[in-house]
Amino acid sequence: MPFDSVMIKKIFSPKNLRNLIISLVVVGILFLAISGYLTPLFSFSASPFISAQSWMAQRFLAFSDFFNSPRDMATLRAENQQLESQVAMLQSEIVALQENLAQSEILYTLLDFARTNPEHSYVAATVIGREISPFLQYIIIDKGSNDGLRYGMPVVTQQGLVGRIDALIANAARIQLISDANSVVNVKLQTAEVEGLVRGSVTGEISLDMVPVETEVQIGDILMTSGLGGTYPPNIFVGQILTMQSKQNVLFQTGSVQPVVDFSNLSAVLVITNFNAVDISPLVP
Amino acid sequence: MISYLIGFAGFLVTGMLQLSVVSQIKILSGSADILLLYLIVWCMYDRSKHLWLMVFVMAGLVSSVSALPAVILMVVYFFVFGVTRMFQKRLMQSPLLGVIVITFVASLLQIVLNMAYLFISGVEFNLNTALTEVALPSLILNMFLAIPMHAIIREIAHYAFPKGLEA
Repeated sequence: MPFDSVMIKKIFSPKNLRNLIISLVVVGILFLAISGYLTPLFSFSASPFISAQSWMAQRFLAFSDFFNSPRDMATLRAENQQLESQVAMLQSEIVALQENLAQSEILYTLLDFARTNPEHSYVAATVIGREISPFLQYIIIDKGSNDGLRYGMPVVTQQGLVGRIDALIANAARIQLISDANSVVNVKLQTAEVEGLVRGSVTGEISLDMVPVETEVQIGDILMTSGLGGTYPPNIFVGQILTMQSKQNVLFQTGSVQPVVDFSNLSAVLVITNFNAVDISPLVP
Repeated sequence: MISYLIGFAGFLVTGMLQLSVVSQIKILSGSADILLLYLIVWCMYDRSKHLWLMVFVMAGLVSSVSALPAVILMVVYFFVFGVTRMFQKRLMQSPLLGVIVITFVASLLQIVLNMAYLFISGVEFNLNTALTEVALPSLILNMFLAIPMHAIIREIAHYAFPKGLEA
């Protein structure tokens, strides 16, 4: 019994009681906190600290931005410049590819023409220049005698007759267009089987001449090379008749012709290499 | 020597521009001749003794490309050379005025010689049409391009002969 009373006294000593109470209070507070009963209290007590902390953080961020922003801007500008240069490079590549595509389409069309006209052999050439004098109609191509071209060879496109080689060097040639003032092409009307001459002019327009007055010519009739004179092979499209005029007391009627080839937009041509022009000038009296 | 190199390089670049671009830009049927304009402006600033040789080579180069007879180009180019030498002595204080006057006169001479060549070749053409659709638009284009051409070549000429420009 004395043991029991001593033990009880020891256990419930003021020190142990204090520790017990503190432990119970702590456990109780933890229990209340875990249960969520203390959240309003925590919120209320933490709000001044959070406000102070956010104020500090904002000031720090502003301070940090003040020093770091210029460097970021410079980096961004450099990246932007790099991206812009990449865009410019890609755009130039797109333009180059579009150019290649357009050129390929033209060459495919020319190839189709060459396949559908197998009686001739062709050399494809690109137009690289035009005559300096506005009174003359010539173009310059990038193929010359090294590619088998010779003086007088006819030049065509998939649409029709362009002209003939007037001068050439090893890697280039000058083509006299049928619209040149010095050019004369012997033609025949596809419908009427009548022959005439197509002449160029200083303005680049072409006209039909030497058609007998008694011939009935319709607007829109097709003109093709006749092969007379030995300058051009026969049956190449030249143009369509736009208008005809016949004056009284004249032997021949004349007219204006719409060429089938757009001479202002020529970019690639075919040179007929197996046709040798005949120079008949010594036979002309 | 360096002035000749710069002069020729500029002439070649102008020639390429003429053949590939300028000849395709037309008013009616007329087009500008920037090679002639280049020659006029260059001769206006170049005072070297052997410029005539450069003019001769330039005319030879152009005649090898153009279908025009070489004699026409020689006459026009040496006319430009002679007139610019005359203007250098009398109107060097206002070279732009000289360039404009010489452009007008040289373009007219070139047009007249072109038409004379066609006439001699036996080409039938309507004089009125040739004047209104080819000659006049070409003259206008030449006059129009003379001022920017003068500005560009003057800058190039600064590098070729700086002392000559200050004089």
